[in-house]
Amino acid sequence: MADRYDAIVVGGGHNGLTTAAYLAKAGLKVIVLERRSVLGGATLTESPVPGYKFSVASYLVSLLRPQVIRELDLAKHGLQMAPSVGTYTPHWDGYLDRRTDHADTLREIRKWSHRDADNYDDFKQTVTDITRFIRPAIDMPAPDPYGDPKEWLEYAGLAKDFGHLPLRTKGALLDLITGSAYDFLRRWFEGEPLIGTMSASGIIGTFLGIKSPGTGMVFLHHYFGEIDGSFREWALPQGGTGAVAAAIASAAQSFGAITRTDAPVKQVLLRGDKAIGVVLESGEEVYGDTIVSAADAKHTFLDMLPAGSLPTEFETAIRNFKFRGSSAKVNFALDGLPTFTAAPPGHGHLMGTVSISPSPDYMERAYDDAKHGHPSKRPFLDMLIPTLVDPSMAPPGKHVATAFVQYAPHKLAPEHGGWDNIKEQFGDLVVDTISEFAPDFRDKIVGRQIMTPLDLERTIGLTEGNIFQGEILVQQMAFNRPVSGWSRYKTPIRDYWLASSSAHPGGGIMAAPGRLAALEILKSKRGEA
Amino acid sequence: MAAKKSAASKAELPPKVQKASRGVKAPATADVVVIGGGHNGLVAAAYLARAGMKTILVEARTELGGMALTGDVDGIRAPMLAHTVGRFRPRVARDLGLQGKVKLVEPEARNFAPHPTSGTAITLWRDAKRTAAELATRPNGDKVAAGYLKLDGRMRRIGGYFEKVLDGIPPDLDGGKSVAELLAGFAFRAPFTGLEEGDGREILRMLPMSAADLVNEYINDDHLEALIAWRGSRYNASGPISPGTGASLLFDSITGDGADGGASGETVVAIGGPGALIGAIADAARGFGAEIRTGAQVTTITELDGRVTGVALASGEEIIAPYVLSTLDPKSTLLNLLGVEATGPELRRRLRATRNTGVTAKLNILLDRLPVFPSAGSAAEQEVRLRGRITILSDILGIERAFDSSKYGEMSDVPVVEAMIPTLIDPSLTNDKRHLLSAVVQYAPVDLKGGWTADARKTLADRAVAVLETVAPGIGGHIVARQLITPADLQSDWGATGGHAMHVNEGFDQFAQWRPLYGIGRYETPIDGLFLSGAGTAPGGGVTGAPGANAAEKLIRHLRRAAE
Repeated sequence: MADRYDAIVVGGGHNGLTTAAYLAKAGLKVIVLERRSVLGGATLTESPVPGYKFSVASYLVSLLRPQVIRELDLAKHGLQMAPSVGTYTPHWDGYLDRRTDHADTLREIRKWSHRDADNYDDFKQTVTDITRFIRPAIDMPAPDPYGDPKEWLEYAGLAKDFGHLPLRTKGALLDLITGSAYDFLRRWFEGEPLIGTMSASGIIGTFLGIKSPGTGMVFLHHYFGEIDGSFREWALPQGGTGAVAAAIASAAQSFGAITRTDAPVKQVLLRGDKAIGVVLESGEEVYGDTIVSAADAKHTFLDMLPAGSLPTEFETAIRNFKFRGSSAKVNFALDGLPTFTAAPPGHGHLMGTVSISPSPDYMERAYDDAKHGHPSKRPFLDMLIPTLVDPSMAPPGKHVATAFVQYAPHKLAPEHGGWDNIKEQFGDLVVDTISEFAPDFRDKIVGRQIMTPLDLERTIGLTEGNIFQGEILVQQMAFNRPVSGWSRYKTPIRDYWLASSSAHPGGGIMAAPGRLAALEILKSKRGEA
Repeated sequence: MAAKKSAASKAELPPKVQKASRGVKAPATADVVVIGGGHNGLVAAAYLARAGMKTILVEARTELGGMALTGDVDGIRAPMLAHTVGRFRPRVARDLGLQGKVKLVEPEARNFAPHPTSGTAITLWRDAKRTAAELATRPNGDKVAAGYLKLDGRMRRIGGYFEKVLDGIPPDLDGGKSVAELLAGFAFRAPFTGLEEGDGREILRMLPMSAADLVNEYINDDHLEALIAWRGSRYNASGPISPGTGASLLFDSITGDGADGGASGETVVAIGGPGALIGAIADAARGFGAEIRTGAQVTTITELDGRVTGVALASGEEIIAPYVLSTLDPKSTLLNLLGVEATGPELRRRLRATRNTGVTAKLNILLDRLPVFPSAGSAAEQEVRLRGRITILSDILGIERAFDSSKYGEMSDVPVVEAMIPTLIDPSLTNDKRHLLSAVVQYAPVDLKGGWTADARKTLADRAVAVLETVAPGIGGHIVARQLITPADLQSDWGATGGHAMHVNEGFDQFAQWRPLYGIGRYETPIDGLFLSGAGTAPGGGVTGAPGANAAEKLIRHLRRAAE
């Protein structure tokens, strides 16, 4: 006699665990089925090099919803986050070192351009106004253009606010939604390292260049960032991003949810157009009233459902949903800190993000390579040395550095012979790129872990290695995510729900899709939706 | 149009000072001055005069037409810049009574695409079924043909929607309207609700897409995908992979009320060249009582306390008028013809950042005979297939490669070439056996490293001819004369800031009521009485007459409101 649950959550990443926690908290009998032997999905801490702990995939927390931290009491479940302060950008002719102190930041920017320093506050104010205005949207389901008018009522306040925004803010918002990160920044700035580094927020996890329209949207997505309400902050979870998943899992378990690892789901069981359970690779069947998928849209609809169970139009739309992973992750075990040629005294500049993004052309050329199927000859790097904030990540006196690398196109030109063939070369390229600015970096390396887009796909299950479970493109956001008409976590299969980053409001360690899906599921169980 | 240099030199002087320094003879007066004698200026002047306003149109050049000119290459009349007039608004033609005054013809073969290396070719016919029948003979042909028909149908239905909104003034997003309307642009207008739900949803999804993605969802055929997606980047500093080019592609495919775009796009030419259309519009404008002056270059739009008072001309003459409608590119109008105290630093800062880098050159080649394109078949077949646009490209990434160079101030090694042979369709252009090949050459950035020297110009023309040689071997041997117009020329001789043929780069980021900028995208400006028009305003470039008609309509409405 197989078990029976109120809700089965497929996938134990941060969104799946969040959904499970909210459903269990509401008194449902919930089980989470995770394919791997560890929970966390892409929020994962592992030790491929003994003694050193890496945030294997995701590496910073910025978007995690304050509601989730509060409502699941994640602090009580061990979540500790230290703010990651500042961004250091080495350049061939010097450096740009922006930290928390406003006056210092302006002084640094003025080194490169007086005009930029004069415009900096106006820029900050504009972006703050925009994110303040738009942020409520990431904590509400997206309204459908053809949907029930009451879906729009939730947005009445937002619409009213828009009417009251000053013209310049409205204009800037439109510039962000329709334009490129580069063109947006160009309205205020001219300094090479400043525009290079800031524009990076427009391409992270995206297969576009900083000058491609649409990257303004990605820029905006990253500027939602807030930790416990404080604006535009990034933070390092103590113990790596895996600690976030652990805290949410612990919360879920405390509400009675069961979490099972090594339980890969083969297929969703249907009766007619209704989901009634899942069958595992092992053949074991698990039954439930509600099945929630926290996997990406491709796995959810094309891999886990019996062929032909979806309406043709919907299936076509899912096949047209774009993934196109563009980034890799290279993690290093170091026996000492690297020394950057152009840097201020001390280690302060290494406490935050080290960004290899010296100029707009550097960034754009990196994209040009990828567009034609090659890893960037000189990639953009977003590097952290978490051990400076959290020594527990390495043996005493030792360090780990984690480098987000772009571009690493999932689809390589044939001459490369696939990612497994060039994996080590690619690792060397990253070492060379860092060593160009910190010559002694290569000598400090005692071990490294390379996660190519293919590895992210195979190990963590991110289709095409896309870190957002679907590109952050204007046409794949809000009521179009993942499919127009199906943006509110329901699917064409009755009692089968989508709670992953493939749903509104998208990717990042936000836990918003997981939370919003859970709230919609509970509504429908109460017969409200 | 105002030549940039002299205008710029005046730009920083306060208009009032200039007024004092002027006034040689008693100034002329008018109800409205229209700046620019291109198709949009002439259309606007015609509408304004028709509404009973005393209208004076001033054109800096000695001839009317702007970028829609019939020029002369060694005795042969040639479309100097624009060589098709396919999307000219039928509504405008009706309102201005142009029917019968100018003959527009469209060949059966709209677009012939010889592949530069494979020796194969694609022809897009006006009749989509005929196209599909030929596509069916390609590898995986049945799928390709079916996909083409599906895409054509979708583009015609969505194009039908755009056809309706093209004639309208983009709605105001302001005043607490919904965020969704902001996102969807004018999607919530009546024509939208008239669409089937599926098409409505697709518009909201496709506008921000890249043309490459849009086409690829229907068709898997490198050459055909590139051929269709190319129209999303033609004349613009973008590649088919650039998001937002889907909007340009859909706009180039408008269908209905006499327009007929779809997946092949229109290829309509005016008999006698674009100049014939210009002549007809000018006659109409004069017929309604508009006064048209050429060689009259505006150096300043005069204003007093934020209210337009008229224009000052290079001749020193002034025209006093409470209204000015400018069809110059927005930067010329607002940055060069007005001082900072009129426009304000905020608007200037935002406007400076709008994208208007010209990357399109025009090469007119005089040939001593009709060139031979082997992949077009027999001589008789060539006569038919070569009447439309002849587009030479291979695949999406090939176009992107050509585009990439332009981002760093270099011209493409292998430019995309889109040619017409107007003398084949319109024998009136020539009185002998010679033919003219009119070619759009992209990408050639206005800000070319090292500048547009004689060598650089020769290099670009040679590269374009080399591309032609790949599909018409021996064509080089028949060249009698070459005439090259670079973006730098468009800037210096036509006054287009950035040398952009569309004034402001096209795409979803500079679109509808946020073209050129949100806040001045509905033809009105912060300066009372000054109206923007031309290709830099909605719905954008191309010989449509729509920006001229819409801006004039907006001004006329404004007057009616004022009268009440």
